[in-house]
Amino acid sequence: MSSIYYYLSAFLFCLGLLGTIFKKDLISILLCLELMMGGVSLLMILMSRATGVLESQLIVFFMIIISACEVAIGLSLIIALYRKKQTIYTDDIKIITE
Amino acid sequence: MHLNYLANIGRYIPEILLTILMVGLILLETTYKEDEKNRRYIFITAIIGLVATFAALLANMGGKAEAIFSNAIVIDDFSTLLKMVMVLGTIGAVYLSRFSRDVYESLKTEFVIMAIGILIGGFLLASANNMLTFYLGIETLSILSYVMASLKKNDERSSEAGLKYALYGGISAGLMLFGMSHIFGVIGTIQFTGIAKMVPTLSPVQIAILMPSFLLFFAGIGYKIASVPFHMWSPDVYEGSPTPVTTFFAIVPKLAGIAGLVRITAIFFAVDSPLKIGWVGLMIVISALTMTVGNVTAIGQKSVKRMLAYSSISHAGIMLAGLIVMNNVGIRAVVFYAITYVFMTLVAFYIVSIVQDKYGNDNFDRFSGLIYRYPFMAVMMTVVMFSLTGLPPLAGFVAKYNIIQSLINTRNYSLAVVLGLNSVVSAYYYLKIVRIMVLKPQENNETIEGFGFLNQMVIVVMTIPVFTLGIFWETVMSWAGNAKLFIQ
Repeated sequence: MSSIYYYLSAFLFCLGLLGTIFKKDLISILLCLELMMGGVSLLMILMSRATGVLESQLIVFFMIIISACEVAIGLSLIIALYRKKQTIYTDDIKIITE
Repeated sequence: MHLNYLANIGRYIPEILLTILMVGLILLETTYKEDEKNRRYIFITAIIGLVATFAALLANMGGKAEAIFSNAIVIDDFSTLLKMVMVLGTIGAVYLSRFSRDVYESLKTEFVIMAIGILIGGFLLASANNMLTFYLGIETLSILSYVMASLKKNDERSSEAGLKYALYGGISAGLMLFGMSHIFGVIGTIQFTGIAKMVPTLSPVQIAILMPSFLLFFAGIGYKIASVPFHMWSPDVYEGSPTPVTTFFAIVPKLAGIAGLVRITAIFFAVDSPLKIGWVGLMIVISALTMTVGNVTAIGQKSVKRMLAYSSISHAGIMLAGLIVMNNVGIRAVVFYAITYVFMTLVAFYIVSIVQDKYGNDNFDRFSGLIYRYPFMAVMMTVVMFSLTGLPPLAGFVAKYNIIQSLINTRNYSLAVVLGLNSVVSAYYYLKIVRIMVLKPQENNETIEGFGFLNQMVIVVMTIPVFTLGIFWETVMSWAGNAKLFIQ
């Protein structure tokens, strides 16, 4: 039974990872990051259930808080960039390397 | 039982001091925000607080290593020494931000507050003893770094740097947590010491699961120290951020990451096991690649700041090489390297920052003929560049020598050869700036306001350790080595 959840969490994680690599707009990338974190949270809870040790459930609480902070900062940075460039597509935002 | 928990708080004074300092500075900042004149009190408070933290760390030195707060955190001489180095780096960056024009006047105090916040994260990472504190340390370092990289609000390059840093950081943290959850699933504890006990008793299937998990686990930390597969963010962030921020990034997160990595390696892989062979092999490959990629890419750069960014990648590679030795000699070599690296980096970035403030960019040509205008500063830059290359009798030579010696003692000849060859490559671009400063005619006769008497004095004072550590290194090493440097 629990192996279904394992595959689900691995699927969510891989989906998020692929999304962060292949998506072209920043909001989607942030959403995919959240998807990754969701997959990992599920896996942490699953592992806690499988081993009977609660420590990894503790990590999940911190993960939720921290990924919320990360997304908040990411969004504010996107807004800061949008004000200058009027775009959120990664292809249009390549200033440094040129 | 509950009182035992609090009884350990005496060993945790430096972190508590820093936290109080950060909160106090936030209060001071909101009070004096509008007042240009009173802002210097904030700086004075910050410097006093950092010096007090340094003193508290010094008082912690030499004590017996112990795990506090239910084994969540380890206080030992190794982490204390690296924390002291990090505090020194922070003081340097804070002083640089005081006169640098790269940070907006109204945001300078915020820079100080965020620097202290990142330092707290670095402390946490340097003495983390379970997965949770390790993750918290990395994230405390990262989240404030994203904001700090985009400190120049009106410059889109700075915003882009911050955003890149945030996205890379999020992905690598996700990878690290994915690895962590597998490690936890196989071993059943998040305590590092508990994991270390389990590592020699694993079955082949468990090892097959754990090997990729440790690879994923390395992603989080490798991103923090900018080792090769995860180094792509580093030059862009270093170039886009304001120079004081770059100085800070080159020192504190990198050293904190190295400290965390040394601890993981030394605790998990103390006993021979297939996992240890896999990990050491991985580290050898990553270290050689990090050095080579950093050095080779640095050759083509036009901007000195970007060149220093790539060179800092290669220095991380050298520190990784010292890490795979995994005995006290190697770890001591890494610590010594970290100490010398801080002083060399600070001096180089100070001079680059001052020149950049004057001309608006930091291309190599801006340094031409610097020796005719500011002979003292040009000599200091030359000394630091020689030291970064690793020429005797300077500190950089001794640091590299120690690492190569420990590599040869443990028969890692190939990595020692790679390190030696890389020093030769790095000589090209380090000495290029010396050649431009000395042999090219100067572009103009303007005075650079940043090189006032006080700043020149500060730069000279920071160069003195580069000389003295190069000559009296045995004393320093024995002072650091008398106390048992390591953990369990």
